[in-house]
Amino acid sequence: MEKILEINNLFAGTYDGTKEIIKGLNLTINSGEIHAIMGPNGAGKSTLAYLLAGKKDYAPTAGQIQFCGENLLTMKPEERANAGIFLSMQYPVAIPGVSTSNFLKHALNAKRKYQGLNELDAADFLKILRNTAKELGVSPEMLKREINVGFSGGEKKRLEVLQMKLLEPKLAVLDETDSGLDIDALRTVAQGVNDLHNQNNALLIITHHLDLLNLIKPDFVHIYADGHIIRSGSKELAIELEQNGYKSFLEA
Amino acid sequence: MAIDWMNNHLWGDDIPWLIGLREKGQRMFEQLGWPNAKTEAWKYSYFPQQILDNLMVCPDSDSCQCHENCHCHDKIKTPFAAYGIKFCNGRLHSEHVNLPEGVIVKPLVEAIYEGEVKKYINKSFDLDKFPFAALNTAFLENGMMLIVERGVKLSQPIFIHYQQHQKVHTFNNIRNIIVLEKGASATITEHYEGERGSSYFNNIVNEIYAHDESQLRHYIVNNESETAYHVALNAADLRANASYEAFVMQGECAFCRHESYIRLLQKGAAATVNGAYQLCNNGISDITTNIFHLASNTDSQQLVKGVADGRSKGVFQGKIHIAPNIKQSEGHQQHRALLLSDNAEIDAKPELEIFAEDVKCSHGNTCGDLDAEQLFYMQSRGISLDDAKRILIKAHVDEAVATISDTKVKNWLLNIITKKTP
Repeated sequence: MEKILEINNLFAGTYDGTKEIIKGLNLTINSGEIHAIMGPNGAGKSTLAYLLAGKKDYAPTAGQIQFCGENLLTMKPEERANAGIFLSMQYPVAIPGVSTSNFLKHALNAKRKYQGLNELDAADFLKILRNTAKELGVSPEMLKREINVGFSGGEKKRLEVLQMKLLEPKLAVLDETDSGLDIDALRTVAQGVNDLHNQNNALLIITHHLDLLNLIKPDFVHIYADGHIIRSGSKELAIELEQNGYKSFLEA
Repeated sequence: MAIDWMNNHLWGDDIPWLIGLREKGQRMFEQLGWPNAKTEAWKYSYFPQQILDNLMVCPDSDSCQCHENCHCHDKIKTPFAAYGIKFCNGRLHSEHVNLPEGVIVKPLVEAIYEGEVKKYINKSFDLDKFPFAALNTAFLENGMMLIVERGVKLSQPIFIHYQQHQKVHTFNNIRNIIVLEKGASATITEHYEGERGSSYFNNIVNEIYAHDESQLRHYIVNNESETAYHVALNAADLRANASYEAFVMQGECAFCRHESYIRLLQKGAAATVNGAYQLCNNGISDITTNIFHLASNTDSQQLVKGVADGRSKGVFQGKIHIAPNIKQSEGHQQHRALLLSDNAEIDAKPELEIFAEDVKCSHGNTCGDLDAEQLFYMQSRGISLDDAKRILIKAHVDEAVATISDTKVKNWLLNIITKKTP
């Protein structure tokens, strides 16, 4: 078992320092594990996700994050991605003028370059892409379209999972991947994520809903409020939360 | 510096109407003066007349020996299957004109001598609006007349290569008269290319006459040397149901201005005037368009996309004019630019002059940096910031290039952009 992510007493806020959002967070994730973070709106869950991915809108003020033994906080966003962090965004960004397949080719080749491998030519790349896309029910037609431009909620999330499968991260952070999905799309996405998960990688799922956690079964559930984890437990904790709401935890 | 008119030995001093026309051009140029910051149509972009001091007017073409390895007389090479026409250092090399039946190309002097060009020359624009077209008229000699005959539809593009050689410092006045007779259809691509280190001034006037039901796709690629000056007027008169699709790709040189002056004269005429510019050093690129809706049921579309980095300057001026009593017409104009450096500049002046009611017009102008969310999304997938920027810049320019309807030309241009944005 390998320690993948270790967050120690992390404090962080907006880049300009005007707002503190994460206040004393501790979290350790080992390979093979699935962690879920649940928390009320505005608790800072997405901030945590963005901070892990290196978005410059947020900055740490104290504490450490180690990723596979490296100091994550000194790495650029692209270095983090190539080292194995994947953030599946709640709102994947549309990029007019860039086809989905071209985008994916750039991403995969960036990773291969980082790993010291040859970059794939168009033909080899397309072969890999088509196979992976097929498993997720992503049509060749969709791969030709501009990335996330005019995609439905379900298409966007399926594409996020497709990227995840191509890039094979050590740690996938799923930020409200279930938002805006109907039950069929949710199943497809969950199936994709489960297929990807193995004993060498880990998942961090940020969600509001039990539905996703019934499909991707977490080993640990953390209740997150006011910038830190107030309680950790097994999946039963999520069920308790669903029944009683956040109120009982916040009062405790 | 005053232009030394006396020192020009132009051909055709036995043709009175030609002499009269040149004199008219000279007078008009002197009246209008060299454009500067106070000239409304040139206030964002101009360049000093002193550049002419180091340039030579009209070198002898037939005995061209620009330098030891002169290849003016070599056969033209085209980047895709096309009919080729070649200009070297401002002179037409008619011996290499290779065109199919139904297309006539002749040097301007020949067309002047035969007199047939008289009914077209200087008829597509008003001389008093264009100082450099006036100057071009004063030096009228070089260029060609190209006619696509009635009903002839060309299966491949005509490719005109304007080559400027190293160490050849000339002031090139080129006048092309392009006539599409009724129902004719053609694609014309102009490629201006200067070897590195060559300083010259290309002063181009294209007069386009598109008769009823004709279709012209006209693509212009400015790939001049970094020390070149380039000013072009593209004046087009469109008759009933004629369509004109233009695209100008401006590379970077000391100064480059491409001006369109398009008159939709009769019902059903339609013009698309798109373009792109990509600047990263200290060049100036100006795309100016004037579109006149002078008949009902006429349409015009413009999409210009630009990138200015380094210490460069991009200018877009677009005017749509709709004459009184025009009905059922549309004119739309968009200019979107990326401003990537604190020292770069973008100037935009959109103008709508609408004197009619039953018409639809729009214009839009944006200018800004690359989108931070898009950059982060790419970085979060492992793409380096520099690569992410290049991908977005290319996508920005490609959107305009993608409007080109001729696939061969479109793919050629997309490749050029890829090379510029590695």
